Amino acid sequence: MKREMKWSGLVLTTTLFAGLLAACGNNNDNAGNASPSISANPTATSSASEDNLAPLTMTFYSEDPNPNWANMQDEVGKALTATTGITLDAEYAVGDPVQKSSLIAASGEYPDLISAKGSISKFVDAGAVLDLTDLIDQYAPNIKKVFEGQLGRLKYSEVDPAIYVIPSYSTVGQQYFNAGGGFELQHRVVKELGYPQIKTVADFEKAIKDYLKLHPKDENGNPNIGLSLNADDWHMFISVTNPAFLTTGGADDGEFHIDIDTQEVTYHFRRPEEKEYFRWLNHMNAEGLLDKESFVQKYDQYKAKIATGRVLGLIDQDWDYGDGEKALKAEGKFEYGYGHYPVTLTSEYKEASFWPSGFMAGNGLAISKDNPDPVRAIKFLDYLASDEGQVLMNWGIEGKHYKVEGGKRVIPEDVNNRKINDATKFQKETGIGNYNLLSAHYGDGVKDPTGNYYTTNFPEQIVAGFNDVEKETLAAYGATTWRDLFPKEEEFKVRPWGASWNIPVPTESDSVVLEKKLQDITWKRIPQAILAKPEEFDKIWDDYQKELIAADVEKAEDLREELVKARVRMWSE
Amino acid sequence: MKAVTIDGQPQVRRDKGTFWRTFLRNKYLYAMSLPFVLWVFVFSYYPLWGWTMAFQKYKPALSFGEQQWVGVDHFKTLFQDDTFYQVLRNTLAMSFIGIIAGFLVPIVFAIMLNEIRSMAFKRVAQTVSYLPHFVSWVVVAGLVTKMLSTDNGAVNDFLMWLGIMNEPIQFMAKGELFWGIVTLSDVWKETGWNTIIYLAAIAGIGPELYEAAKVDGASRLRQIWHITLPGIRTTIVILLIMSIGHLIQIGFEKQFLLGNNLVRDYSQVLDLYSLEYGLQMSRYSFGTAINIFNSVVSIILLFAANGLFKRITKESIM
Repeated sequence: MKREMKWSGLVLTTTLFAGLLAACGNNNDNAGNASPSISANPTATSSASEDNLAPLTMTFYSEDPNPNWANMQDEVGKALTATTGITLDAEYAVGDPVQKSSLIAASGEYPDLISAKGSISKFVDAGAVLDLTDLIDQYAPNIKKVFEGQLGRLKYSEVDPAIYVIPSYSTVGQQYFNAGGGFELQHRVVKELGYPQIKTVADFEKAIKDYLKLHPKDENGNPNIGLSLNADDWHMFISVTNPAFLTTGGADDGEFHIDIDTQEVTYHFRRPEEKEYFRWLNHMNAEGLLDKESFVQKYDQYKAKIATGRVLGLIDQDWDYGDGEKALKAEGKFEYGYGHYPVTLTSEYKEASFWPSGFMAGNGLAISKDNPDPVRAIKFLDYLASDEGQVLMNWGIEGKHYKVEGGKRVIPEDVNNRKINDATKFQKETGIGNYNLLSAHYGDGVKDPTGNYYTTNFPEQIVAGFNDVEKETLAAYGATTWRDLFPKEEEFKVRPWGASWNIPVPTESDSVVLEKKLQDITWKRIPQAILAKPEEFDKIWDDYQKELIAADVEKAEDLREELVKARVRMWSE
Repeated sequence: MKAVTIDGQPQVRRDKGTFWRTFLRNKYLYAMSLPFVLWVFVFSYYPLWGWTMAFQKYKPALSFGEQQWVGVDHFKTLFQDDTFYQVLRNTLAMSFIGIIAGFLVPIVFAIMLNEIRSMAFKRVAQTVSYLPHFVSWVVVAGLVTKMLSTDNGAVNDFLMWLGIMNEPIQFMAKGELFWGIVTLSDVWKETGWNTIIYLAAIAGIGPELYEAAKVDGASRLRQIWHITLPGIRTTIVILLIMSIGHLIQIGFEKQFLLGNNLVRDYSQVLDLYSLEYGLQMSRYSFGTAINIFNSVVSIILLFAANGLFKRITKESIM
């Protein structure tokens, strides 16, 4: 008996161990799961008729998670698979996307299609992605058409003029019909004060102050909050540091300010104007108008606070605080929603949110060297870039998600209602919005050969999405959308380098570490300066500037300037 | 390793014959331990090969032969970086405070639980106290920030109600409080769980010792001092040596989740530093160098602690 027990134990342990080994070794099979059988769905449309339509699954990695991804089992996804034979097996970054990309780049096993935004340089340095120049030339007439005249902007760098990425984040011909940034005030604030002019930080401050004087507490006796900032991790850029240059007439070039004529690069916190902006925030804090928890709260606390309706003013982007506002709208508290105002430090500056960058290429999709069939991959992306493909991914399926009435594409009332009020489920079922970041496409405001817009974002559609309170506020300021309040794009010179944050930095460059060090200093010093007593502000600011110089900020500026100038040379060829 | 020789004779002579004889006699036991030896090899020793990266200018795409060797350059960069010394200070400080609190509180708590006569209350107290162990740090960090918030935070409201102060305190914005906040949240979360092992050790002390003490007229406190504490001394020492070995590897969840930019000077720890300045920047070699430093320091600490206790208390793990 004893003997048998020993044997069974041995058998058990070895089986367990074998199972473990087997589990470890199985990872690589997913990529090549395509069965060689003939397509069950041979109904191909014109653009891909003579092509190989055998089902093929490609793995796809993206840094931007899409919670509504339905494994291409949505309606648009099925249509795409039917036309091209390709199914995508998507994997998204969870947590920190840069870290995930670094891990994949280091692993040596690459997904077939890679959308890694700024981290693409890691893959390029690892030799993980294909040069697409010839593939586009031979197999992708539609992609070529979308990028007509701008194909040179797809080149990776002056030293390495290959095309690794098909830009899908930056759209072609984009017009902005609405604004989601600037400074935000609740509609009830401006209404009660008789819609005062909101142009400078002083106007903004006065509005908050006056309203707080009238209503220091909400109906439950909790104090109203004047202005809350979101400083959790990278939100710091959006809500704290970027507004410093936007309100002082500087375009968004990441952490740098670039002179439009001389292309001289300055770390933007070194501009004297911005010191005054932060001095104003310091003053707001001293006055008790700035939320004390601004630099302590986590993102979810910030959103929860907004959802209580107690926060009168924000400096943020709508996509960043949107969840909090949605909760208010769901309760029907529309007067607690926010309007967007082009606030500047003083009236001499122009709000620079809409400083045009031109088509700036950059972030998009790359095909990895492990891709089983790069030709079919590029054809798939080309189909998405075709007129037919773009209408499909933006509008959905004709007769189901839109109708053509008298040559005009219209979204039926019931579909549109679901689209607005049941957005998540609608996107999961239809797949509309799931495929836009895969390939080249036109931006809002561009019309296809039938005279209809490619996208569903056009002025009439945007206005239809506003609630009555929002419309009332807009009307009081004489605007149709928030965009109307901001300076026009024509008032600025187009930046010939696109945007500096969109220039790939080689991973080996010193500037990677330098810029991180500068960021560490800035993220520590800026909150300190804002929360300090007003009389200490100058001293802290001087120390901060000295610390930047000690951390070699000038070298970082020079390195960045080289990158910018190289891009200007490359793009003006 | 005790288990292997459990049914073998104590080996006095170590010649070849006896070893093979013991081996044959215990072949099943050896076979059963083989998977785990392999496991340790595969997951703990084989990855050490990756340490070579720290001496290269590692690029993912190249094979081993093609990598460029740079000697100890990455270590030089590391030891010349001011931030490194700051994060090292924070790591060691939080570790030390954590070890002190993480030993004292559970031991006291275990002894107190042991002295409770009502079984029902004891059970309930024990269960309730170890439940927080299963709560994720993400949730705990949310709770802590909410409790310490100036906007209706429980702690501030309570202190103001007591009249101790008029203005709420920004606990989370004060760097000098950060180590304390981390330690306290850790104590709240882990005390109950860490108590279990001491309770088990206490349960193993023979009741006849207590009876004899009682006959001799020892008070409850005397019994704790002369029987309970010496009874669990071995457990305490072993656990202490092991946690000193882990002194430098305190993880980063707590610091990452509870920290913010205002307390950065106190909240950055080594693991976060190697993540931010290593992996996230694709400086794989630099990250490896940091972790080699980590491991070497841990091994030194472990042996030092072990040697120290061997000398003082005659107890050690090796």
